Amino acid sequence: MDGIGFLFAGFAAFWLALGIYVVSLGWRQVSLLRQVERLERELERAPQ
Amino acid sequence: MANEHTLTRPTAGDPQASAEMRDAGALGAEGRPVEGRGPVTRGVAGEGRSSGGRRWNLVVNLLGIVSVVWLLAALYGALIWAPREATMGDIQRIFYFHVPSAWVAMGPAFTVVFVASIAYLITKDLRWDRLAASSAELGVMFTTITLITGPIWARPIWGAYWTWDPRLTTTLVLWFIYVAYLMLRSASASGHKRARLSAVFGIVGYIDVPIVFMSIRWWRTIHPQVIGGQDSGLDPSMQAVLFFSLGAMTLVYIYLLVVRVRQEELSTRVERLRHRFYNR
Repeated sequence: MDGIGFLFAGFAAFWLALGIYVVSLGWRQVSLLRQVERLERELERAPQ
Repeated sequence: MANEHTLTRPTAGDPQASAEMRDAGALGAEGRPVEGRGPVTRGVAGEGRSSGGRRWNLVVNLLGIVSVVWLLAALYGALIWAPREATMGDIQRIFYFHVPSAWVAMGPAFTVVFVASIAYLITKDLRWDRLAASSAELGVMFTTITLITGPIWARPIWGAYWTWDPRLTTTLVLWFIYVAYLMLRSASASGHKRARLSAVFGIVGYIDVPIVFMSIRWWRTIHPQVIGGQDSGLDPSMQAVLFFSLGAMTLVYIYLLVVRVRQEELSTRVERLRHRFYNR
């Protein structure tokens, strides 16, 4: 692999790592929002 | 039971519920519910439906857009605008993302963990703990990027992906310290006990940051000294791209930190709701 190949690998690694983190952050956010929604619905439905 | 199935906040008069809520950060030291940290308010933490909340959301979204645009501009600067380095050739362009990643991790990210950990121990406010945890996660992410891009750059220049050089070794140790910090957090139940333990770990772990910084001055090393070094000899246009990339990466860190802290607040809210759900 020449310099350009390593350069491409370096930038690909950077964007991949950042991308994976951002996607996992988004995934966690959606999951938490769903949990809040579900728990609030359940609590509202519960007898007073 | 009198308060079974109730949807109201546990009161200071309910000792068991109060202790649990205080531990989750919903009650103040004196046992009164803390404004904005209560468990029953509608909506999502940080996702307020008020005009203030909407304005804050707009600012955060704008910050996200600006950081992405700035990062793309830094990519253009690194790959196209910056001149080709005479000795190393094109591979040197990794430098414009490798150094800023290391800077964000060891500069703002772990320093925020250190400062927020001290602030938590002084104030016992869980918001500091959430800030420290969020910043530690980002610090680990940026250190990971540094530890991946560094060897990729080193292979064609040094002839090896990895050497047990002081700078590389201390950076790897730093990465392990903060991975351990995150593992410690995920292994313990949330609340003041975890926050106290994490704060102590965050303060002690920070000792390695100045060691990483000084390693190239204290010991013999093959790692170049970029900041304040005699041999950095950067061309002004290269310096401009480096500082531009530093700015981009710092902004990305700030944006991700804001998002992550809000997520921690949301997570605390889920825990409170779950606690109420199972204790109806």
